[in-house]
Amino acid sequence: MRIINFSHGDFVVIGMYTAIVLYTQLGWDPLLSLLVALPLGFLLGVVLERLILSRLVDVPEGSTLLATLGLSLVVQNTLMLSFGASPRSLNVAYGSATVNLGPMTLSVIQLVAGGIVLVVIAGLYLFLNYTERGQAVRATSQNRLGAELVGINTRSVHSLVFGVGVALSVAAGIILIPQLFVTPVITGPVFTLKAFVVTVLGGLGNVWGAIGGGLLLGVVEVLGAAYISFDYRDAYGLVAFLLILLLRPEGLFGRTVKRV
Amino acid sequence: MPASRASPSILQAERVSVRFGGLRAVDDVSFRLECGKILGLIGPNGAGKTTLFNALTGYVPLSSGRVTYLGSDVSRSPPFERTRKGMGRTFQIERPFEGLTVLENVLIPAFLRFPGRGDAEAWAGECLERVGLADRRKQLSSELNLARRRRLELAKALAVKPRVLFLDEIMAGLNPPALTEMIEFVLSLTLDGTAILMVEHIMQAVVELSDHIIVLAFGKKIAEGTPEVVTSSPLVIEAYLGGVDDA
Amino acid sequence: MKRFSGSLAQLALFIAVGLALPLLPGTNFSLLITLLLFIGLATSWDILGGWTGQTSLGHAAFVGIGAYALALGTNRLGLDAISAVQLGVGVAVLFALLWGSLTFGLRGSYFTLSTIAIAEILRLAAINEAWFTGGSAGLFISSLPEPFGLDLFERRVEYYLALVYAASVLACVMWFASGRFGYEMRAVREDEAAAQASGINPTRIKLRAFALSGALTALGGGVYGAYLSFLDPHNLFFLPLSVQIALTAIIGGRGTVWGPALGATLLILPAELFRSVFAEANLLIYGLLILIVTLFVPRGLIGELERYLLRRRYAREQG
Repeated sequence: MRIINFSHGDFVVIGMYTAIVLYTQLGWDPLLSLLVALPLGFLLGVVLERLILSRLVDVPEGSTLLATLGLSLVVQNTLMLSFGASPRSLNVAYGSATVNLGPMTLSVIQLVAGGIVLVVIAGLYLFLNYTERGQAVRATSQNRLGAELVGINTRSVHSLVFGVGVALSVAAGIILIPQLFVTPVITGPVFTLKAFVVTVLGGLGNVWGAIGGGLLLGVVEVLGAAYISFDYRDAYGLVAFLLILLLRPEGLFGRTVKRV
Repeated sequence: MPASRASPSILQAERVSVRFGGLRAVDDVSFRLECGKILGLIGPNGAGKTTLFNALTGYVPLSSGRVTYLGSDVSRSPPFERTRKGMGRTFQIERPFEGLTVLENVLIPAFLRFPGRGDAEAWAGECLERVGLADRRKQLSSELNLARRRRLELAKALAVKPRVLFLDEIMAGLNPPALTEMIEFVLSLTLDGTAILMVEHIMQAVVELSDHIIVLAFGKKIAEGTPEVVTSSPLVIEAYLGGVDDA
Repeated sequence: MKRFSGSLAQLALFIAVGLALPLLPGTNFSLLITLLLFIGLATSWDILGGWTGQTSLGHAAFVGIGAYALALGTNRLGLDAISAVQLGVGVAVLFALLWGSLTFGLRGSYFTLSTIAIAEILRLAAINEAWFTGGSAGLFISSLPEPFGLDLFERRVEYYLALVYAASVLACVMWFASGRFGYEMRAVREDEAAAQASGINPTRIKLRAFALSGALTALGGGVYGAYLSFLDPHNLFFLPLSVQIALTAIIGGRGTVWGPALGATLLILPAELFRSVFAEANLLIYGLLILIVTLFVPRGLIGELERYLLRRRYAREQG
């Protein structure tokens, strides 16, 4: 939708804290929390889009970026005031369980996460290609005015997309928390930055590109850390990001956009 | 036009082509424009008029061919360099600098010829006077109506002291009295030897103003000549009535 | 020249207030130095971000360059303080020109993203090249040469330095605001294609604005370094500082002479007050302020005010 969302990673963090609170207060397993958090995350996204982003028409460029930056600061610091700055995590019984697959050892959580990612990708693919709503989303993303002219309600498409985005971010947080530590302020930007790198690598507005970009970022970081210098691990992704932005702004996997 | 061949040519296009991928938006177009003359560029929608216009002013790169201005090759010059040399233009969709007042809008191109603020302001005021916007100088440009935005576009183009002026559909959407006024105004611009190339849909304006008309269809020049010759050409009538095949 | 003499009077008033404040009893020098520094930094940012319309979220890099040039120049290269600051400004100009010529092909938000990435890479370098920069642990400026016999660690001296800095940046902006360069920058911000039709080379104007903006920011970084006397790469090169600088200018009004200064006053003074009331909440307040400003005063306080005044003056003249 061409909205650069600065608060993306903070929704991952919201997911992580949701899982922690539901586990410690109610004893819910993260997978159970997921079922509740998905619709709530979707609603949250829709409400935020309606309250904030949809109002930002006919304003100076970069306003959506600034608004999501403001949102990010609000989310981070509200969490900070509620939970404190110390890192938190969630220990579930299967948190350290592993499965042997031939020569590889994989943790159960990574397997579950991978499985859910595959389901989400398949779901997105089916939604975008085989449903009317999905095609409306693609049309709006390609040409907003054109979509409006053929009767698509682009406002509701924007809400829908932002809702799905937030729901998926929250879900990612819930799935990952047994493996990671979370702090209210630092964790969010790390995810946001990685998400930027991945989408720019893959090409904005391109689901397959995002998948390829994600894989590529992982490979670049691991190879760079192994063969050049571990200290600069985070920098390799950024350098790759800059190079792609400068050399191929449409992304590695994007089609060249022709201007007429 | 053998009669006017003797007068100095200010702008010359030689076998200009613009391709977008496989599409030939402008295909092998040549013409010559002389001092104080008006060249009309017409053709059905999608004929490549605006693309040719943008190629001549440097906003779209040429795929092949050559544009010569006052004897020097400007085919590879960026738009701002062409402006500096004296090729002024208006935009079909008016592009005022929205946050600035009418006077400030004209001040910006005026600085090109008068680096000092005082002189630039005087010249900008003069240009606004000429287009009849002097009483609007302190208004925000975003608040002007369509006809006035058009005139602001003209004032901005005049402020760079052009020797050749490119006018992109400045008549469109004007009511009859405003149209008559604009036609007279454009005619007055050529008195000091300024040459004009105009893309225009309003046939009345083109016929009344142009010394020479070029007709484009599917990127190709299909006819040219004086207004009388062109308007009676069966090829042109066919093109406008939509009788031309893709061939 | 009426325009310019008007702003000269405003500047004179600003300097007069600045000179008078230390005469009051119980002056909180730290607070005022921070305020003046942010007035200067935000006004410098605005040359690129407001006047030319290229939102940078990487200006902390220039603050870092200025501060580290002072520290490393005096303590490692044996320069006097003024040469060290000049070195920082020179490096900033070169860095801005290189950075700009690489990234000005990018549009809007993509340019902004690239500024974040570049500043972040510089921060990682400052942290990892510990042999030169002191690394993650930071860098103490234990001694500074005394130019003209001034002790740069004394708060009063730092205050006047910060005042000179802020006033110079404002003077610089006033000087170009009503002249050719100011209008060229605004033309580029509003519409690059139309700017070209006015004979303006947009890339060149953007590079010039970036170099000037970076140089003045690095100059402020030098003063900031002397004031902090402990340089922490996690602060000086980091995104939150870039955001704070940009935000200050945006709230006050991008592309106006006094907007960034007003923004700094509105953000720094309450932030210092809130800090003692509830320590961690000032960033929350920042976030809410950004949201409120982008939603309701998108052109910033001075920006909306100027627009309103222009409209009213025109309406009155019409009768």
